[in-house]
Amino acid sequence: MKLFLRLPSFLTTVLIGLSLSASAQTVVSGRVTDQRGRALPGANVFLRGTYDGATTDTTGAFRFSTTRRDTATLLITYVGYESFVRSITLQPERTSITVKLTELANELNTVVITAGAFEASDEKKMTMLKPMDIVTTAGAAADITAAMNLLPGAQRVGEQEGVFVRGGSNLETKVVIDGMIVQNPFFSSLPDVQSRGRFQPFMFKGTSFSTGGYSAQYGQALSSVLLLNTVDKNSSNGLGLSLNLANAGLSYDHSTANSSLSATGYYGNLKPLFALVRQNLDWTREPEFAGSSLTYRLKPSKTGMLKFYGMYSDSRLGMNVRDPGAATVGNETGLINLRQHNRNAFTTSTYADSWGEGRWLLNTGFSYSYDTDATTYDTEDFSRSSERAQARAVITRLLGGNSSILFGAEAHTLTLKNAVSGVDYSLRDNYGAAFVESQFYVSRNLAFQPGIRAEYSSVIGRVNLAPRLSLAYKTGVFSQVSLAYGQFYQTPDYRYLYRNTDLNFERADHLILNYQIIRNKRTFRAEAFYKNYAALVREFTGTPYDANPYRFPWGRTDNSGHGYAQGFDLFWRDQKTVKGLDYWVTYSYVDTKRLFQQFNVVATPTFVSNHNVSLITKRFFEKISTNISLTYTFTSGRPYYNPNRPTDSEREFLSDRTPAVNNVSFSASHILRAKGNLIVLYASVDNLLNSRNIFTYRYTADRTTRYAVGPQTYRSFFVGGLIMLSKKAKVDVNQL
Amino acid sequence: MKTFITSALILFIINVVPAQAQSTGSDQYKQAMTEALSRMKTQSEKTPVPDMLAMANQFERIAGVETKEWLPRYYAGLIYVYLGFMGKDEAEKDKFLDQADAHLKAALALAPDNDELAVLKAYIAQSRMVVDPANRWQQYGPLFQSGVEKAKSLNPNNPRPYVLEGTSLMYTPEQFGGGPGAACPVLKQAAEKFATFKPASDLHPMWGKTQIEPMLAKCPK
Repeated sequence: MKLFLRLPSFLTTVLIGLSLSASAQTVVSGRVTDQRGRALPGANVFLRGTYDGATTDTTGAFRFSTTRRDTATLLITYVGYESFVRSITLQPERTSITVKLTELANELNTVVITAGAFEASDEKKMTMLKPMDIVTTAGAAADITAAMNLLPGAQRVGEQEGVFVRGGSNLETKVVIDGMIVQNPFFSSLPDVQSRGRFQPFMFKGTSFSTGGYSAQYGQALSSVLLLNTVDKNSSNGLGLSLNLANAGLSYDHSTANSSLSATGYYGNLKPLFALVRQNLDWTREPEFAGSSLTYRLKPSKTGMLKFYGMYSDSRLGMNVRDPGAATVGNETGLINLRQHNRNAFTTSTYADSWGEGRWLLNTGFSYSYDTDATTYDTEDFSRSSERAQARAVITRLLGGNSSILFGAEAHTLTLKNAVSGVDYSLRDNYGAAFVESQFYVSRNLAFQPGIRAEYSSVIGRVNLAPRLSLAYKTGVFSQVSLAYGQFYQTPDYRYLYRNTDLNFERADHLILNYQIIRNKRTFRAEAFYKNYAALVREFTGTPYDANPYRFPWGRTDNSGHGYAQGFDLFWRDQKTVKGLDYWVTYSYVDTKRLFQQFNVVATPTFVSNHNVSLITKRFFEKISTNISLTYTFTSGRPYYNPNRPTDSEREFLSDRTPAVNNVSFSASHILRAKGNLIVLYASVDNLLNSRNIFTYRYTADRTTRYAVGPQTYRSFFVGGLIMLSKKAKVDVNQL
Repeated sequence: MKTFITSALILFIINVVPAQAQSTGSDQYKQAMTEALSRMKTQSEKTPVPDMLAMANQFERIAGVETKEWLPRYYAGLIYVYLGFMGKDEAEKDKFLDQADAHLKAALALAPDNDELAVLKAYIAQSRMVVDPANRWQQYGPLFQSGVEKAKSLNPNNPRPYVLEGTSLMYTPEQFGGGPGAACPVLKQAAEKFATFKPASDLHPMWGKTQIEPMLAKCPK
């Protein structure tokens, strides 16, 4: 049998060899496959520096002839694979070769460390959301921080601003723009009012909302960091006008090849809106505000990028705050007049560059902010101011195979002043931090990210050292698991430090396990966490529990508090099943208790709701070029303080729960063009069902009557529009 | 007469001899390009991906030998733009367009201010945008526009920037500034320019005329 086969094949070889030597040509043939031996059709196989080559067929086979003799360099290229180079000896009769190519690292075949982080980015492909998704979500009112409250891990607290994450308070979340901490990311806090964020969502190209276990690059946040990255260039040019029920604004954008400039100015007055939408609050002076911003970006070289952003705003308001604890005969509901005048300035400038063909990266920044509130409460002065200057530099070295190492340092000077009933307090903190972090890929399926951060705070004269570790393993083509552990420190709330600088850093340890699968425009993500709190500040006031969130902590304080938070959250997004419809569902569960502030016993804090659900739907109707979004949120009841229960019983203290909060909101935007100008019109309705939501209760001093604290309005609506006054302001293709 | 012939001969020798070393290469180049271009003419939207890759590979091999010629890079890039429209999913489309970008970059190093390469740059931006219009128009819209404008300013007679601009407008809804009303004048401009446009050689780009014909047919005369 063998003999029969060998004979003809021997003969053919000889025959081909003869015919080839006659024409002085050599045939090069073979097969190209991936590492698993699967054929790669369409690969380019050729001898370097010659026209001689061929493309592989559907079986991965190739065959071409060459007049070259002796040796040549064989080069094989294929899209998405590493090039193959080998010097070969050309046999006079026939050269046969089989080659296995290695896939290039890409976002699909390489694991990404994701535990704790929820990203929205245009630049990365494997993200849960795009920045545009945030802007067009109903119920977020185009406020980037409000949109974060719809993401997994966040708990909605209707009557306070800020982001509450996994059992943490709003003070435990820091907002960071291009690496710089923002001292006052929200408009000034008012009793029982949720203030808006100060920043426009279109400023940012990427958002990463970390609900724990985050990088050693960031500190001073026990629960969460919200990382915002500003855009690199203008998306439009020319003059823009905007007008809505709350304000009127003007913007101007101008770009050249290497630089761009944007300037905005606005004036707002809520009087017309409040006349149309019934207010639950008693305003004595409707909020009035004016502001401006300037952005300048310059590309001084091919690799460098300089950005400057500055803004200033001025706002005034007056309201009657209901403080039942202060009720007297003749003022049974305890109405107290509050007047406030806020001025806020924020500037940040960053410079980024790279060297050595992008192997060395530098990111530096400097930021300065100043904020002052002239506040009178009744007749007493409660004015405050804050001033923060910070500088930061990070050097990253990219190593082979996706690995990298970075070093960085930051320094801050913070000056705070606070008048309390006419008594002035002030403090100054010099804060410094240094960090090292490495991203280390063992293979494309397994990556580690160890890091360590050291911090010093001059006001308490203490140092801390916080290790962090994340790892991720790719479990399939579309799925992966990640694990993160880290220690996080935060300087205690400055209100405590005015009277006691012997306090130490508060601390939290996070452990997070994450699984995600992104496939065919459907995403599923599940994350479980355990958080341990230590060294929380406790107050020993010697007086009964005071439920007023704006009270000043007069009592003795120490770091003997502690607590825990545990739970999980789920996220599901589907852009596929119903054509044109995009929806996502989020469920977050948290179980948490702590001993802190005035607590005598361990309890669940009043800002915690155990269950948070949100359902967001969007649909674009192409024929009428209208985008419609509907959002439903459910927030389970929160603990509230009932003075009729003893404060030293774990069973009784904060054991009452408010009713659950439900909200359905709707928004629509419509795009049209008139006389060459682009016009966007939008309308939204919040609390469509007009639910009488209750966020918390407050009791009168005699403990007999309780008052509900609810939203600023029940069902409310908002309309507005903007015009881009430029022929060039063109929205290309399809959607907004 | 004699002097004329002698001087002509001298000129011929002077001109040709230094080129002689290249001339076989140059002939070979022309032949290879002509062959690759005639193969490319058979291309349609039904051409299977491996066949498209084979066409691009052919130009890539020519580019590997003719390191001073931008045209092979240009055509390889152009085929990857077509592949960018054909890819089976977003990731594959982007992978092809990464290749198009790499070829454009190599071509621009040889011919930095070339109108056809500005057209290719705009074409790549358009193909990138079409991958995910809702999320990408902000980034790639201005890039597309700047490529089109640059091509127009480099060579006002080139019809291809008008082809791309007109096509893009035709498929952009009216409320975004597109539609036949906006597209037709631009497409007509392209048609006028095709009437007089002469490519620098048989190897230079000539595409676009047949692409716009079905759209022009819908325009008011």
